[in-house]
Amino acid sequence: MSVSQVQEPHPADAIRSPRPPQFPALPDPRLVFEIEQFLYREARLLDEERYEEWLGLLTEDVHYWMPGIQARYRNDTSGGPISERMAFYDDDLLNLRRRVTRFMHATAWAEDPATRACHIINNVEVELTDTEGDYRVYSTFVNCRGRNEAEESWLAGRRTDLLRRDAEGALRLARREIYITQTVLLAKNLNVFL
Amino acid sequence: MSVHDEAPEGMTRLIGADEVREGDVRKVRLAGVEPIAVCRIDGGYFATQDGCSHAKASLSEGWIEGHDICCPVHDGRFDVRDGRPMCFPATDPIRTFPVQVIDGTVFADLRGARTDQEVSA
Amino acid sequence: MSEQLEEEVWARPSAESLRQLVDLQKGRISPRIFWDDAIYRLELERIFARCWIFVAHESQVASPGDFLTTTIGEDGVIVARGNDGQVRVFLNACPHRGNRVCFAEAGNARRFTCNYHGWAFGRDGALLGLPAEEIYEKTCPDFDKSELGLMQARVASYKGLLFATFDPAAPSLDDYLGDYRWYLDVILDTDEGGTEFLTGNIKSWIDCNWKVPAENFVGDALHAQWTHNSGAVAMLGSGVGKAKQDSVYQANTNGHGMQFGFDMVGNIMTLGEPELVQYIRERETLVAERLGKVRSRMVAAMGSATLFPHFSFLAGLNTIRTWNPRGPHRTELHTWVLVNKDAPASLKAKYRRGVMRTFSPSGTLEMDDGENWENATRTAAGVVARRQKLHYGLGLNSKVEHEELPGNVHLRKFNDSNQRAFYGRWLDLLCAEDWSQVPGGR
Repeated sequence: MSVSQVQEPHPADAIRSPRPPQFPALPDPRLVFEIEQFLYREARLLDEERYEEWLGLLTEDVHYWMPGIQARYRNDTSGGPISERMAFYDDDLLNLRRRVTRFMHATAWAEDPATRACHIINNVEVELTDTEGDYRVYSTFVNCRGRNEAEESWLAGRRTDLLRRDAEGALRLARREIYITQTVLLAKNLNVFL
Repeated sequence: MSVHDEAPEGMTRLIGADEVREGDVRKVRLAGVEPIAVCRIDGGYFATQDGCSHAKASLSEGWIEGHDICCPVHDGRFDVRDGRPMCFPATDPIRTFPVQVIDGTVFADLRGARTDQEVSA
Repeated sequence: MSEQLEEEVWARPSAESLRQLVDLQKGRISPRIFWDDAIYRLELERIFARCWIFVAHESQVASPGDFLTTTIGEDGVIVARGNDGQVRVFLNACPHRGNRVCFAEAGNARRFTCNYHGWAFGRDGALLGLPAEEIYEKTCPDFDKSELGLMQARVASYKGLLFATFDPAAPSLDDYLGDYRWYLDVILDTDEGGTEFLTGNIKSWIDCNWKVPAENFVGDALHAQWTHNSGAVAMLGSGVGKAKQDSVYQANTNGHGMQFGFDMVGNIMTLGEPELVQYIRERETLVAERLGKVRSRMVAAMGSATLFPHFSFLAGLNTIRTWNPRGPHRTELHTWVLVNKDAPASLKAKYRRGVMRTFSPSGTLEMDDGENWENATRTAAGVVARRQKLHYGLGLNSKVEHEELPGNVHLRKFNDSNQRAFYGRWLDLLCAEDWSQVPGGR
């Protein structure tokens, strides 16, 4: 078939004449910098297993949610991850404390030798919300865990956080939603916060 | 017997209007003519060929969405108003037939229809 | 329904060689059973393609068109409710070129259409139609659509649990479960309204042989106070309590087993949700009316269970899980949460969160299990390690008669008797060429 005979596809209007997306106005770069540093420091606390300090970054009413991911057809009307479905994490502060209690216990056998975790945080975007001092923050992560000699486990995902400035002016994590790319968790456990 | 058992010029009686529920489709078999699908959308009646133009399937075993009749086998869709194929895997149109509803009876002009021998060949 | 299909020809391990690996009299087992490729292949044939395998809870496919995909051994299957209300299980492999037909893990579908050539199958698995059907009709003398549906398994249910088998010679599900139904009722029949699975299904890979976790749940009470000390400290504020031995039993039948006490709430305490403990206590009289006093004290008591081969649960704590084989050294764990259908929504939410935070890949108790199970498998890579016979000799003299407990009953919590029974069943099935050679035929 000669080139001239190849027919142009007939894209939908939105493809033929795409419109640029409407992003909210960029916030003050000092705020973006502050939030990026908050996320990086948080990640380092987790990598260094400084869990008590990590708990100190959370608000009293924190909700930490990592839903299970299912492969469903696009026409499935039940939608994406929903709160009624089972989740890897669906925790308040009490239950995050319980997890930290286990992580730090001398008989947490799967933590000894220590799991070596590295959180790589990227694609940080900050949006102002209708509430003064509340910030919606998008980020992505890659997490690598090494165990014993040659065990390695990788996770990647997207996060949507709600960060809140407390009365003393410090940033705190009030809500985190974590969406990983795996439907079957390709690891024996999830002994890490993301 | 109603007066309209006698069909108007060029029209063939298909089915009682109240035998097709709103948003539904029924199959009509008449001697010598290909099977006809009759559907009712927003109170209006439409008649098309019943056999899908893609593979072997009876469209009246499918369902109606908007003005489309949807094939139960491969999800092909056809606009019942003009028979044009609306999505993959349908590529060829289906035949449609002009309809008249007279005193509770649905009639259609089936002069463009195939014979039952032609469609089964 | 499935017909007996031709078996492959290959060099199967002999019954004699298999019996040398498992010494039930002395309680010694060779690690080869966790490592060997030929044994694994034989398990897929003689256990997973032969036994009644749990595939779904009826609540997961409640309405016509509801479906889910899962596996029987390494065979993918679709579980779907038809327009006639009947649940069917069919092979998720097109009879045309063998491609997987359904790729979603759950949903509602009018039909299942193969991506490869567009063969379309109904909710009942029958071939509805295919592109170029008229050419098939003209050029294939034996073309018969009615013979080209998705291959169907036999399906049977017990109080909401759906099981399937592709073996037409398998005994009835009731015979397969036998006395174990009495124990299953402890989770399935404590309430008039029956049970349901909460929505969702958490899946994960554990690089262990599937039998390692299955035998752990069938009767390994011993590991709890050691393995799970950190989890118990986290959830209860103290370690796993020192276990009573003299009023705790292990019972098994047809290789299915449960170890349990009569403390009523030991398992559910672990969830860290006081309202759930309260719920169990409040219902004691009601449950006693349904199931009798003995079982009313078992509903959420400390214990664990496996229905042979790969379905495990913790009564009252209500984690349900299957250990799906993915090669001799990999298991795909599927977990669900079981609740009484008529339980208040607020309690169902507490079950969902509580079960996930204790018994799931991120669970405070389960996290330490995976580590053990992987390494209990991995060591068998060693020639010398495989020569070592593992000790399964606990409680060899513990068999008792109990007037209310059916099946083979053994006294004392720390006991390998259920695990020996599990491997006894495993050996019986592996050595039998068909169901007629399985002792008792069931």
